[in-house]
Amino acid sequence: MKHNLFFALILCSTFANFAKADEMKIGVYGPFSGGSAPMGVSMRHGVEIAIAEINAAGGILKKQIKMIDRDDEAKNERGGQIMQELLEKENVVAVLGPINTGVADASTQYSNKKKVPQIINVSAGAKVNELFKTNPENFVFRIAANDNIQSKVITNGAVKKGYKKPALLCDDTNYGQNGREKMEAALLSLGVKPVYVGKFKIKDTDMSAQLQEAKAAGADVLLVYGIGPELAAVSSSLVRLDWKVEMIGSWTLSMSNYITNAGKNGNGTKMPQTFIESAATTPKQLKFIADYKKKYNESPIASAVSAAQGYDSMYLLKLAIEQAKSTDGTKIKAALENLTAKYEGVTGSYTKPFSTTDHEAIKESNVVLGMVENGAVVKAK
Amino acid sequence: MNQIFQIIVSGSIQGIIYALIAFGYNLTFSTSKTINFSLGNVMMLGGVIGFSLYVDIHSGNLLGHSYLFPIIGVLVAGMIAGTAIHKFAIEPSLKLKSEFTWVLATLAVGIIIKNAVEQIWSTGDFRFPSPLGDVPFRIFGTGIYPQEILLVVVATIIVFGVESFKKYTIYGKAIQAVSEDKETASLMGIPQHQVVRISFILSATIATIAGLLVAPLTFVSASMGSSLGIKAYAVSIIGGLESGKGLVVGGLILGISEFFTARYISSGYKELPGFIILILVILIKPNGLFGKTMIKKV
Repeated sequence: MKHNLFFALILCSTFANFAKADEMKIGVYGPFSGGSAPMGVSMRHGVEIAIAEINAAGGILKKQIKMIDRDDEAKNERGGQIMQELLEKENVVAVLGPINTGVADASTQYSNKKKVPQIINVSAGAKVNELFKTNPENFVFRIAANDNIQSKVITNGAVKKGYKKPALLCDDTNYGQNGREKMEAALLSLGVKPVYVGKFKIKDTDMSAQLQEAKAAGADVLLVYGIGPELAAVSSSLVRLDWKVEMIGSWTLSMSNYITNAGKNGNGTKMPQTFIESAATTPKQLKFIADYKKKYNESPIASAVSAAQGYDSMYLLKLAIEQAKSTDGTKIKAALENLTAKYEGVTGSYTKPFSTTDHEAIKESNVVLGMVENGAVVKAK
Repeated sequence: MNQIFQIIVSGSIQGIIYALIAFGYNLTFSTSKTINFSLGNVMMLGGVIGFSLYVDIHSGNLLGHSYLFPIIGVLVAGMIAGTAIHKFAIEPSLKLKSEFTWVLATLAVGIIIKNAVEQIWSTGDFRFPSPLGDVPFRIFGTGIYPQEILLVVVATIIVFGVESFKKYTIYGKAIQAVSEDKETASLMGIPQHQVVRISFILSATIATIAGLLVAPLTFVSASMGSSLGIKAYAVSIIGGLESGKGLVVGGLILGISEFFTARYISSGYKELPGFIILILVILIKPNGLFGKTMIKKV
């Protein structure tokens, strides 16, 4: 009896191994719970839609894709643990994610160590091209508008509208201060000097002192960098002061925790976007939105940018693996750096998105200004 | 001129919030010489429970029933929290006769409350629409929210109400007697354990009410109480732990100084003057600006 059981187990395990042979694991991680969850969950949904399509069409290299997803809870240390698990235990072919800059910076070293390509699909602040200095053979890629591009789009948007006296207001985290530095540099290159530079802390709820100082300095536009709740507090403080000034800031202004928290005070606020759900025109975009709605019964998408970038990151990976004709990390990386196929995605069309020296797929031309209008993001006029 | 008035208004409101929580510290300190360091998180509990009973977390719209629900909800939550903290954190510590076990015990309770809310509820930030509307009205160009007026009115009623309760009723006198001398009060037939328990319930209930009142002015989140709790403690040190008047003055000093610094020096140094005053008070008048001098017999 015992012997039978033993053989049955062996049979099972060999069978399981057979099953593994024709599947390919892709790791996906991000915050699926907590304050950044709208971005994490939307990104995962985007990847899932792409995987379902790819599997229905026969998979990659005749193998079915299996997503291994892990919740990093937006905690830096979880990012490292998850990467080790994905790379050492699950032996994934590639990794997609994460969302938070801190999590990304704490985990990308593992992809470089293990030589497994990783495409960051949401984090704007994570180091990507900066990693070439320490890792000439860099396995980290990004499909998301990084802080450099965002700052340029924000400042260009302001200067193009004729504003000459911008006030900068950013949170005091790495994210906000990094954004401030980049916006200042971008303004300098346009020959404009901010009349006021201020900051606020996470959880601050009354920004009237900072805004008064900006107003007294004669500011004609407010450029902000931070995350949803505090930026919503900036908007309500503007109403308290009865100061009607245009506000342009980081892409986080498109997140639901800005839009719902600011309510009607948020109307007219502008931010850089790679994808605007309500302005979708191409068949690919319309199909994506319809599929998303059908599969997750969610409209509008909690974080449409994250979902679209999640979807596109999976397809870029698919093209690279097919071109490499292998699941070997180094070969996939080489293929990503020299993609021959043109990809028409949800966030734009990509021809040779990456090179050996540039791992950023999103360029300034892929980014447009969105605007909050009655609880949704529309294309800015 | 307008600007200065706005700073004073914003700063005073912030100060009253600090003072209200500090008043909770004051209550338990006067009966048992212990401070419930979890009070900031009890306040957060009030905000979260009030929010859950009033607003739909997914859409941000009102659930549609009366504001009475959250009020009753936070009162019940405050009483339960106060009883539980007294039973599980304070009583065992006092029995141990150890001087400072209650410090760690109440801090631990605060961490437990915060983590529980993060696990069970959410780690996000949510807007709590004020029952009085979110449109500021203007006096001489200064924007004031109706909720801020409500906060000041309720805070004043609570502080004066509790102070007069202590002064003019027999139960209040019992509290004062316990605060003067526990053993003698016990000998006089005052159930001192009961009095201490009631002071904890009262202080926690004030905190949950504060949470409900503050929520529409800030955001509701699991971390909304952390820094408020610390600053309120600074206020009780500045004002004097045993003085109701001192807390209000201390709160106003801290609140207004924060806004003046943010406006005229730098928003980065916002908290600096408050804590400089705190250090000066500890050096010069360790019992607070309005505190009675304590003589501790060894």
